[in-house]
Amino acid sequence: MPQIKIYQEDEIPSPMRRFWHAFSENPFAFAGLWTVICFLLLALFGPLIAPYAPEQQDPHALLLAPSWDAAGTVEHFLGTDDLGRDIFSRLLHGAHLTFGMALGIVLASLALGFIIGSISGMMKGLKSSILSHLLDALLSIPSLLMAILVVAIMGPGLENVFWAVGIALTPQFVRAIHQAIHEELQKEYVTAARLDGANQFQIFWYVIMPNIWDTLIIQTTLGISAAILDIAALGFLNLGAQAPSPEWGAMVSQGMDNLLTAPWTVTIPGIAILCCVLAINLVGDGLRSALSPINN
Amino acid sequence: MARYLLRRMNLFVATSLVLLSVLFIATHHFPVEIRFALTGIHAPTVEQIAQIDEDYRLESNQLGQFIGYLEQRVTGNLGISATSQQPVTDELAAVLPASFELAIVAAVLALLFGIPLGVLASMSKNKITQHTIMTITLTGYSIPVFWLGLTLSLWFGVQLGWLPISGQLNLLYEIEPATGFVLIDTLLSDSPYADSAFIDALQHIILPAVTLAVLPFTVVVRSTRSAIISIMDKTYIKAAEARGLHTSRIVLRHALPNALIPVLKNLGLMLGTFASYAMVVEVIFSWPGVGAWLVSGIYQRDYTVIQGGVLAVALIIIFLSIMIEVLHTAINPLSRKELYAAN
Repeated sequence: MPQIKIYQEDEIPSPMRRFWHAFSENPFAFAGLWTVICFLLLALFGPLIAPYAPEQQDPHALLLAPSWDAAGTVEHFLGTDDLGRDIFSRLLHGAHLTFGMALGIVLASLALGFIIGSISGMMKGLKSSILSHLLDALLSIPSLLMAILVVAIMGPGLENVFWAVGIALTPQFVRAIHQAIHEELQKEYVTAARLDGANQFQIFWYVIMPNIWDTLIIQTTLGISAAILDIAALGFLNLGAQAPSPEWGAMVSQGMDNLLTAPWTVTIPGIAILCCVLAINLVGDGLRSALSPINN
Repeated sequence: MARYLLRRMNLFVATSLVLLSVLFIATHHFPVEIRFALTGIHAPTVEQIAQIDEDYRLESNQLGQFIGYLEQRVTGNLGISATSQQPVTDELAAVLPASFELAIVAAVLALLFGIPLGVLASMSKNKITQHTIMTITLTGYSIPVFWLGLTLSLWFGVQLGWLPISGQLNLLYEIEPATGFVLIDTLLSDSPYADSAFIDALQHIILPAVTLAVLPFTVVVRSTRSAIISIMDKTYIKAAEARGLHTSRIVLRHALPNALIPVLKNLGLMLGTFASYAMVVEVIFSWPGVGAWLVSGIYQRDYTVIQGGVLAVALIIIFLSIMIEVLHTAINPLSRKELYAAN
């Protein structure tokens, strides 16, 4: 005898579940997520699986073409550069410099930006506007100019990239969080909580915070892709990672000398950067469209 | 509105002051002697030292020094370049027009192609067209600009040999600089080769402008698309449809002007990124603009050039972003509501 449904016991999925469902329905975003996970694993374990050391020079294989070319060999899968260094190994060793450092910078500036942004967002009047305008001034200095200033003071080097990109990114987080909190503060449910007697901290943490997580997440993905592009651009201009370093932007600039005879020394690191940033942007796009129906 | 403009003016002055104090602090941390960092004079004589000390008030306390620094910078004294021994102001005046020329051409390209494509992407019901446009824009958004510039110059400049890949104008042409914009100068010039010089200048600007236009183009396409999609659900569009207007008229007359407001706002937020990109593009294509000048300044540790360039570029960006904000308020009555409510 078939069971008859007497009560409507429809399970209502939680917001988190609905969000995950909406996200995983988008194949592009899902592919992006897998690619990002792969890059994360490479950043952590890349040096372990790399066949050669990043600075190891093979004098018998200078400017070797990638393996799919007739002149290439499979020992050097993606070819070698003008000093006979294996490009594949260098890419693997560089993953934690470019991608890993971008993550580190974004985490650090997110933490700082979150604190300043929430303080300035919860404050009202002159104090809030001074704090946010001060950061607008910093925001208007492009990351490259900030890097030039930092390099002028501390000299070029990979650790200075951390400061340059971090200082350039922090105001963006502050601004995004400030605006999100400011917008939520105008809404009626916040007034309702205030009428119930909630203090400033309770309003911030229990009332507003759950509603601005999505802004935070989206801003973080944007920040990571911007950080990767900035690190690579600084490496390319020789202001960041210096010559023997396998940072991807620096690899492009080292390949510049052989651009005409061996274009793969420039093309392959560039494609690595492109794939990495594209995957992060795909995830960010998927997150945004998965979060928007919940918001509306 | 006057009160609003006054407040924005205040904001501009305050932001510039913050910027100048950042530069003041940075100048004191440069790893060289402070007089050299301030003026660019390498081995000053005794009189020059006395003059510098007096100009920049080096004998007084930090605040006094800052006021002296402000006086010098605001009156246009940026010191002399340590490498060329020319006043930084003159060098700046020589390189800025080239940068503006490149930026304007790139912006025109981005808007000219971006807005129609954004409208097309929002109107298309075809999944494949939508996905193609979004994939292209996302790729354009993710591409590292230096790599794109190198690849384009390798293809179109070297392998196909269609376009020149460096500089602003072939050295064969001798054009008197009148406005600093080579495209206009070649047209104004009365030399017998003015026409061919103009075509040459046009060919030189194509590759850098296209490389620079990719990022704003993708931003314009994406924000136009999302703005039009959200506007097409509004009731006033339904009212226009009910009146029996043609779709093209609804989109062009009713939806597009409103959709351009968020596009403007998004472009204003990206100004800093565009400036970074423009500097890299100038370096790759040897474009004699402010970006290439600044980067060569940092290679040569020319501290006056670094200060002057950073100051000029950041001031221009602050000014432009405030102008965009004012424009945004002027054409969008809705944003004025919050303005008055806040007062």
